[in-house]
Amino acid sequence: MSATRTFAVSLTIPDNEAFTALETLGRLGIPVARVVRADIWLFDADADDAAGDLASAIASNETIHNPNKHRLAERESNRPPPGEVWIASRDEAPASLVAGRSIPGVRAIRRRTAWRLLDDSGRDVAPAALDRAVETFLCNPAFQVAIKT
Amino acid sequence: MSAAVAVLVFPGTNSEHETLRALHAVGLAAELVHWSRPEALGRFDAFVLPGGFAYEDRIRAGAVSAHDELMDPVIEAARAGKFVLGICNGAQILAEAALVPGTGPLRRPTAAFAPNENGRFESVHVHVKLNVAPARVPILAGIEADAVIPAWASHGDGRLVAPPDELERLERDGHIAFVYANADGLELVAPNGSALHCAALVNREGNVLAIMPHPERDAWTYQHLDASRDAARGDTRATLAPSGGIKLFEHFARAVRGGVPA
Repeated sequence: MSATRTFAVSLTIPDNEAFTALETLGRLGIPVARVVRADIWLFDADADDAAGDLASAIASNETIHNPNKHRLAERESNRPPPGEVWIASRDEAPASLVAGRSIPGVRAIRRRTAWRLLDDSGRDVAPAALDRAVETFLCNPAFQVAIKT
Repeated sequence: MSAAVAVLVFPGTNSEHETLRALHAVGLAAELVHWSRPEALGRFDAFVLPGGFAYEDRIRAGAVSAHDELMDPVIEAARAGKFVLGICNGAQILAEAALVPGTGPLRRPTAAFAPNENGRFESVHVHVKLNVAPARVPILAGIEADAVIPAWASHGDGRLVAPPDELERLERDGHIAFVYANADGLELVAPNGSALHCAALVNREGNVLAIMPHPERDAWTYQHLDASRDAARGDTRATLAPSGGIKLFEHFARAVRGGVPA
């Protein structure tokens, strides 16, 4: 038996990629005041694995999480919450290794990039604005897919 | 009058000087134009987007540059029939701008140079073979049918990917300009897993070419990976002589000059 566990890794230092996305979205005329980005890691792990063991293994895997600049948080769902979009490769083959090393109890690993667009008041932008950002910039439908709630 | 060619430089471009040198070697008046000077592009007859990691490949390789202000006049010029050549990261930008394959609306890509199949950056000497009739590529005026050009593939995102119906269209309508091959022109599986063994895409009009491997990095004998390099060792003039990759630039120069009064 295995279960999927989802972790989000975001930067605690300024996120240059998010800032670049903000600049480009502004150029595209999409009203966004702030862009929040995170790497999403989905682990198909042994269900009987003690919950803390996997979290601890991930937290100490420097390829996934560098405590000097990353924040690691486990998500409750393996789907994006409302207001967030995940971008994934269409033909992604689940990996079993991270930087050539296995993680005990983990059978398959998939990655996504999470994007959240906020307005001046810190709220999610309107769904239509998020859709436009995805269609015009954040997702190349030739090889990527946008996953929403 | 010498044809003026702009070599575009985005933050993170890193092959502009090699590209400039190859363009000068074939007699083109090429010069660098940096991202902060889009207004300077109006006077050029053709455009080259060199390799590198523009904007650090943020979001996706080529995605940010495709929407950069510097690309506005390039897109306008391409639509007016001027020649645009993209190499490696330049090819990725052209795909993200949807100038190649050019089968959909602008800046709405229908194909991509996506991460290599093995997930790794590949740096390997290759040959590419013309895969379309020479008439399909007026950007390479005078190129021979089945021409084989040596180059260095050096990329992490060079795998042509598109939905199945689009791939069928690209093959049927002659958008796969070059395929990976050996030195004798025998088609090979692409080192990056590229669909249809594609090394380069061309648009319908044949004035925009996006090639993943770098011909400018095999433009001189000392860069060429075969016995000619060994034979030239110790002979400075022979070592610095033009090599196979320069051919692509010679054909490009011929095309560009064709549109410029002598």
